[in-house]
Amino acid sequence: MSSSIDKDALAHLAKLSRIEYDPGEEQKLLTDLGAILDHFKELQALNTSDVPPMTGGTDLRNALRADDARENTDRGAGTGSFPKSKNGFNDVPAVFE
Amino acid sequence: MENLTIKSFHEGLVAKDFSAREIAEAYLAKIKEQNPSLNAYLSTAEPQALETADAADAAVSEALAKGAPETIPAMTGVPLAIKDNILIKGLPATAASKILERYTASYDAGVTQKLKAARAVFLGKTNMDEFAMGSSTESSAFGITRNPHDADRVPGGSSGGSAAAVAADIAVAAIGSDTGGSIRQPAGLCGVVGFKPTYGAVSRSGLMAMASSLDQIGPLTKTVEDAALLYKAIVGADPLDATSTNEGAIAARTLETLPPLDEVKKLTIGLPKEYFVDGLSKEVSDQVGKAIEKLKKLGFAFKEISLPHTKYALSCYYIVMPAEVSSNLARFDGIRYARIPEVAAAVEKGASLMDVYMKQRGLGFGAEAKRRILLGTFVLSSGYYDAYYEKAQRVRTLITNDFTEAFKEVDVVLTPVTPTPAFKIGEKTADPLSMYLEDIFTIPVNLAGLPGISIPTESYPVGGGRLPVGFQIIGRKWHEADILNIGRWYERN
Repeated sequence: MSSSIDKDALAHLAKLSRIEYDPGEEQKLLTDLGAILDHFKELQALNTSDVPPMTGGTDLRNALRADDARENTDRGAGTGSFPKSKNGFNDVPAVFE
Repeated sequence: MENLTIKSFHEGLVAKDFSAREIAEAYLAKIKEQNPSLNAYLSTAEPQALETADAADAAVSEALAKGAPETIPAMTGVPLAIKDNILIKGLPATAASKILERYTASYDAGVTQKLKAARAVFLGKTNMDEFAMGSSTESSAFGITRNPHDADRVPGGSSGGSAAAVAADIAVAAIGSDTGGSIRQPAGLCGVVGFKPTYGAVSRSGLMAMASSLDQIGPLTKTVEDAALLYKAIVGADPLDATSTNEGAIAARTLETLPPLDEVKKLTIGLPKEYFVDGLSKEVSDQVGKAIEKLKKLGFAFKEISLPHTKYALSCYYIVMPAEVSSNLARFDGIRYARIPEVAAAVEKGASLMDVYMKQRGLGFGAEAKRRILLGTFVLSSGYYDAYYEKAQRVRTLITNDFTEAFKEVDVVLTPVTPTPAFKIGEKTADPLSMYLEDIFTIPVNLAGLPGISIPTESYPVGGGRLPVGFQIIGRKWHEADILNIGRWYERN
């Protein structure tokens, strides 16, 4: 686990996360993330090669709803809580420019 | 009628000593008086609360006229505080984030529906750490909540508003959510009971997801008896939460009556040596020691056990949780839910979709939310996934196995809730790691999906001049009754 987050990596992560940050926030983010990643190094001491990963909080598998036909006429329901909606549709800025 | 519990409220309501409306009005008045200094509530819901209280009174009169008081649910008319990351249709739900400042819930959460069916009264929505990320309620975008026992100290978090409201008696009881200790830790620091049920016991539909493999909803109450009553009202499967099952509801039927002490004391209590180590403050060590002595006097047998991977739980949690956070919080994009004013203005001027995303999330999320999203994105990214995320999932298995082994020797496990009593406001905000360490005793319970309860070591009245200390009891999956029954006997003595 030889890794740390430098300025370029932080900028890349921020872009992936769709989070704009202020240049004034940069140093604090780098310091804090660095300290947290350092703390994780303790996990290296553990040999986990034979341990299966726990992938969720439950033993349940494939919780599926019944495959029944049902009427669904509430198109547009809930769009009223969007910032901007029109005729039951969400109104968004242009995706392609 | 100070310090009403769910139980004493119900008895008074059924005996017609008071009406639900009178009590709702009294609590709303107390909130107006105390909330400006405590900031436990972010919003109140007076019109809806009074309307529900009237409906509760009508239902009570009807049941009494029929000579059937036993048909009145325990939660009827009970004035509750609800954490602001849980939806109540038509009310704000900000999760204490600027990003949702203008959002109004468009549907009822699963727990809301169940409590509405019983005609519980929702007084308002409580303050919290932003999106439930924190241990002090200081990361709220809408101001800190103060600990009712000492205004210079934090109430804990993330359900700090809910814990403070119950401690200050500006709610009879409250609902919170717990991902790494967010119900139990603030309960411990405020001197109230906080109960996190087994993963899957309570529906999370309408709870803003933080880390879905860890999140669970539960009660914050004045007594363990109340925790059992409120838990019974919200437990059960919900088709809108695929992880919820009916096992908890079936097991909860036994909570109706408290078994005699002779039966309950057959449960063996384990003391994990890894939890009673350096770093535990003297106050906590002394008070938890007294609690253990009291349980011994009641006849409980104790046994030292080992949970050897405890020390890795914090690192494990701070990889698994941010990974899930980075995914869950992707939905707050400025396209759905709500738009912050700066972004709304930019859209009017023709901002691009990418601009909307970057600004909404950059300006809308606070420092801790950003930190966790970036960290989660990092541990899931190509090249680091195996070293961090998958490694943490394997360590999670080890931590879970520790408990499985321990429960072969003992029935429940007793630990402190926090290393220290409530700390000073501002003491840990500069260093995120020091804040994370606040949850070292509660995190393993979420990683393993177990039920855990935080119980005050003794009664801590507000104004008594002492900072509360709690102890935690952890049970086997779906064995809520074990920990609740030990707690019920503890508080009776």
